[in-house]
Amino acid sequence: MAAETNARWLPVAVSADILSGTVIPASLPTGPLAVWRSASGRLNATKDRCPHRGMRLSHGFVRGETLSCIYHGWRFGADGACRKIPAHPALVPPRTISCGPLPVAECNGTVWAAAKRPDHEPVAYDGYMALRSVVIAASCAAVETACQGARAHGASKTRLGGHDTLLVMNGYAPNAVLVIVLVAETMPVAGRLAISTALEALRRTVETWGRAA
Amino acid sequence: MTSHAMRDAWYPVGLLSGLSEGGKDSLLLGENITVFGSATGAPSVECSGRTLPVVRRFGHLWTSLGTPDKDLFTIPEADHPERVRVDVGVVRVKCSPLRAVENFLDIAHFPFVHTDILGAESHPEVSEYKVEIRDEVDEVWATKVEFFQPQAARSAGGGITTEYMYRVPAPTCAVLYKTCPPRPGAWDVIALFVQPLTEDLCDVWPWMALFDDESALTDLIHFQQLIFLQDRSILENQIPKRLPLDPAKETPTRADLTSVAYRRWLKRHNFTYGAQLVAG
Repeated sequence: MAAETNARWLPVAVSADILSGTVIPASLPTGPLAVWRSASGRLNATKDRCPHRGMRLSHGFVRGETLSCIYHGWRFGADGACRKIPAHPALVPPRTISCGPLPVAECNGTVWAAAKRPDHEPVAYDGYMALRSVVIAASCAAVETACQGARAHGASKTRLGGHDTLLVMNGYAPNAVLVIVLVAETMPVAGRLAISTALEALRRTVETWGRAA
Repeated sequence: MTSHAMRDAWYPVGLLSGLSEGGKDSLLLGENITVFGSATGAPSVECSGRTLPVVRRFGHLWTSLGTPDKDLFTIPEADHPERVRVDVGVVRVKCSPLRAVENFLDIAHFPFVHTDILGAESHPEVSEYKVEIRDEVDEVWATKVEFFQPQAARSAGGGITTEYMYRVPAPTCAVLYKTCPPRPGAWDVIALFVQPLTEDLCDVWPWMALFDDESALTDLIHFQQLIFLQDRSILENQIPKRLPLDPAKETPTRADLTSVAYRRWLKRHNFTYGAQLVAG
């Protein structure tokens, strides 16, 4: 049953926040991950832990098509395999050394990751694009109650700042939810600003409930 | 109260030059202690109404919660009258005290963490060195450790191949002897004294005894603090927090033989405060 829960796409970041050649930290309910984009633009995700000495790989750096750990420079490819151990330049790293790659996909300007590969691609919401993300210190249930949105294919349809939006959520800890707001691709700047402000207000409302309770 | 082998070891709890007569509250292995300075030169440490044994050495006050079966180690080289002895101060780090020591024993991170100071990315290779647990003194030693360093010390003018020796004389203390740029043939002494506050929080007291007639004391302290703050960015981001003693949990290579010996020595003595015994 746990495996079934893990084979589920969850939003972890806004695509535009991960430029080519960079790495960021992200979270799934199963633990932290590092999401990185190679020089050629390929998106990858891995467990956020170098198998050598446990350093978070999200503190590392991207060169070409590999992610390097900041501690000892161990280099990993998109498949998670260790490509290079700088302390031993002549050594071909054993194939068994892997940083633990995770399934990752992009649609609607959103990065989706899963602890175990689901048997389908993430749901695409036609005509929508990620605007921004926010982390709310509350439970997923509290956030869903607050936005009073109708559920539609894993997203919550919610009016924010006078506009229709879709909220996708990842409750990666009992008291932390990453919310990404998707808006119409054609949304003008004024609308985007209004939605962003409304999302902040939503966050404050939910977190205030949490403190009152 | 926990009972474990590390209670009988000595730990640094403050700089002799910085003790307060009114007492300062601190922690040792999770227990509350109070460290008192003294105008008459007899500082003391108390724990729950108990007076703990103390030793004054290397510019620090040392104590133990248990009954040490041997005197605090010595560093005879550090007594040389021409050396500058540097009390670097304290850095609080949210990490296992054992991880702090292990990082100090590691040279392979120099090119990536202390870039263009203690190492350069163009010279990352760690050549073979010698590691042993010296049974007669019950210490871990690594010798013939060589590494290319762009700026090995405050007193180093340019890049040199530095030779190192490492010594672990106590579970949370390590001493490094390294080539001394202005005095070929002599060794600079750099030590890391770690006060375990809890299993994942420590106060680190670096200390040095150097041959350096030129650098101002402030510059020597700044150099060491810069290096250690770079280390802290690593130490606070390792997973798991506690040092895994299960060999399957992490992946050492030849460059990590000192760390492998250190972990084996910790395990042998049941020095497991700050360690993780079972993979989790």
